[in-house]
Amino acid sequence: MSKFEVPVGPQHPALKEPENFTFVVDGEHIVEVRPRIGYNHRGIEKAAESRTYIQNLYLMERICGICSVAHTTCYAQNVEYLYEKEIPPRAEYIRVIINELNRIHSHLLWLGVAGHEIGFDTLFMYVWRDREHVMDIIEAMTGNRVNYAINTIGGVRRDVTSETIAKARKVLDILEERTKYYKRVAAAELSLISRTKGIGILKPNDAVRLCAVGPTLRASAIKSDVRKDDPYSAYEEIPFNAVSYDLCDVFSRILVRVDETFEAINIIRYCLDHLPSGPVRLKLPRNPPAGESVSKVEAPRGEDIHYVRSDGTEKPARYKVRAPTLGNIPAVCDMLTSKADHTVNIGDIPIVLASIDPCFSCTDRAIKFVDPWKEKKWIWSHEQLDRYARRKGKQ
Amino acid sequence: MFGDKVLDLKAPRKRRLFVTVSPSDYKELMKYLAESLRITHISTITGADVGAKIEVMPHLFGLGVELTVKTMVPKDKPELDSVTDIYPGAVLYEREVHDLLGVVFKGHPDLSRLVLPEEWPEGVYPLRKDYKAQQPEPIRKG
Amino acid sequence: MKLDIVKWARTKSPWLVHFNTGACNACDIEVLAALTPRYDLERFGAILRGSPRHGDVLVVTGPVTRQVKDRIVRIHEQMPEPKFVAAVGSCASSGGVFRGCYNVYPGLDSVVPVDAYIGGCPPKPEGIINGVAALLAKIKGG
Repeated sequence: MSKFEVPVGPQHPALKEPENFTFVVDGEHIVEVRPRIGYNHRGIEKAAESRTYIQNLYLMERICGICSVAHTTCYAQNVEYLYEKEIPPRAEYIRVIINELNRIHSHLLWLGVAGHEIGFDTLFMYVWRDREHVMDIIEAMTGNRVNYAINTIGGVRRDVTSETIAKARKVLDILEERTKYYKRVAAAELSLISRTKGIGILKPNDAVRLCAVGPTLRASAIKSDVRKDDPYSAYEEIPFNAVSYDLCDVFSRILVRVDETFEAINIIRYCLDHLPSGPVRLKLPRNPPAGESVSKVEAPRGEDIHYVRSDGTEKPARYKVRAPTLGNIPAVCDMLTSKADHTVNIGDIPIVLASIDPCFSCTDRAIKFVDPWKEKKWIWSHEQLDRYARRKGKQ
Repeated sequence: MFGDKVLDLKAPRKRRLFVTVSPSDYKELMKYLAESLRITHISTITGADVGAKIEVMPHLFGLGVELTVKTMVPKDKPELDSVTDIYPGAVLYEREVHDLLGVVFKGHPDLSRLVLPEEWPEGVYPLRKDYKAQQPEPIRKG
Repeated sequence: MKLDIVKWARTKSPWLVHFNTGACNACDIEVLAALTPRYDLERFGAILRGSPRHGDVLVVTGPVTRQVKDRIVRIHEQMPEPKFVAAVGSCASSGGVFRGCYNVYPGLDSVVPVDAYIGGCPPKPEGIINGVAALLAKIKGG
């Protein structure tokens, strides 16, 4: 058997981070997928041990720039669990508002990028233009568009004013209109449906067996959401639905994310209407008591879990982070492998990889092809893979 | 059923449980959790250097509880049974603990490098306490 | 000064090649946002291309990790002269919040020569446009 490898360059015209998959192919069909990650490995867990708890807030935010506040919420919560103190309710509500705004921005970002992967660049431009409304309101509330630094140990750093609340309500109305429009497009646009229905299938029992998380799991009929199963922050008091669809394909994942955007809009509205008064921060002593704690949040991409061990000093003895995308890699390998009842083609790779919303702050689309049955050498840039995928889609 | 084999049990807050067992009972406990209690979701596996030993902690979720199983292996012979046959979702987590801490999971299908670069020297485990982080040498003057 | 930049931009349209060397994506999404209708980098003639062989300006985000070092050097070599490099964000400029970590080089200029440093974590799209325009002005100015 002679192996054939095609390294596909890591830079991509639209976003995408460093990552490597080796695909074993038989002609057009993919037979096996082997992941190799690590291009984004920056040594954060080691760095966390040599920084104080407050300094680590800024490090954790930059694990991922898209779902940054999920990581800081998880971190701040984790350390607050060590202190065994409850933070003020107003701070919890503000955390929920910012987390849900983050979810909306992340899902809209993904919708645009997914549109780009299918070749639907108009959708990309429209969605990102609408996403700017979310960025504006986030900037008004936290002071920055990306990397908000809103969380601190003991609460949040800034309060929301009544003007920002009024502005936010207007933005939410606009967003709801636009998201309804995108849902209509998703349900009716034939080119989108033909490229996503029946593609990237992940059966429910495989999703559970491979421990998938987030929208990837919920699009395979499993209604599992950390906000419902292990409620944190103010989620126990807020009425909302965990969204799940049972089509188990890329189309299902699009629907889950669009509906989650609607749910997020409603959650924010509820929070703005029921915002408790009071302080936004609880002052805590510098060193947390010794102990260990596990904290989970539902980041836009899925379950994010952090573990901390404190030895009573100002620096953590051990800090562990498992970002959601790592949890979805075994699932995406399964989605990309041909099975007895359906085959997976090379042309499906970009959209299937995009469908798990990979945050390879986390990923670099370096893709290798290995064809053990043919003696062919074949080098493709990511641009070539994209063009191939779009050509195949038109057939 | 496992009462006498559990070395320690802590419940610091609601929905959090920490169970300590010895390495020889580890796999049996994981099998029991998966098969008898139907706890099938593994979130991740944390490894931590605690001096003469390395602690391996899979974090599971099921029955509404976040359950962390803790076990310790000696640093000079860090071997533990792999649970990938019971929890297929654990393949990458065990690989990561092997890469960064050097724990060998017996029975794991593929313990090749996951996060560290190819040229990283063998036997150097960044998350061990005796490793001092050093940034790579610049290849040109800035 | 501003009129000169606009005039210059009209006479030459730079083709940008974007590369992520292990970033958290914050800078990448702001680079992309600079292309979207509100900021519209394309009105300056700048366009994002995929292949380095067609590029004038290499826009790099992220702290350079060990694994991508060889790739970024190769991509830089593949670009035809005259070529320029813009380091976007604090991580590309100096390593940012990851400076000192075991897998991260202390800034892009320790690996390839850099012509412009655009600071920020991440820089806003206006900052990126300003930085690219300043780089173009510097090129024009000789």
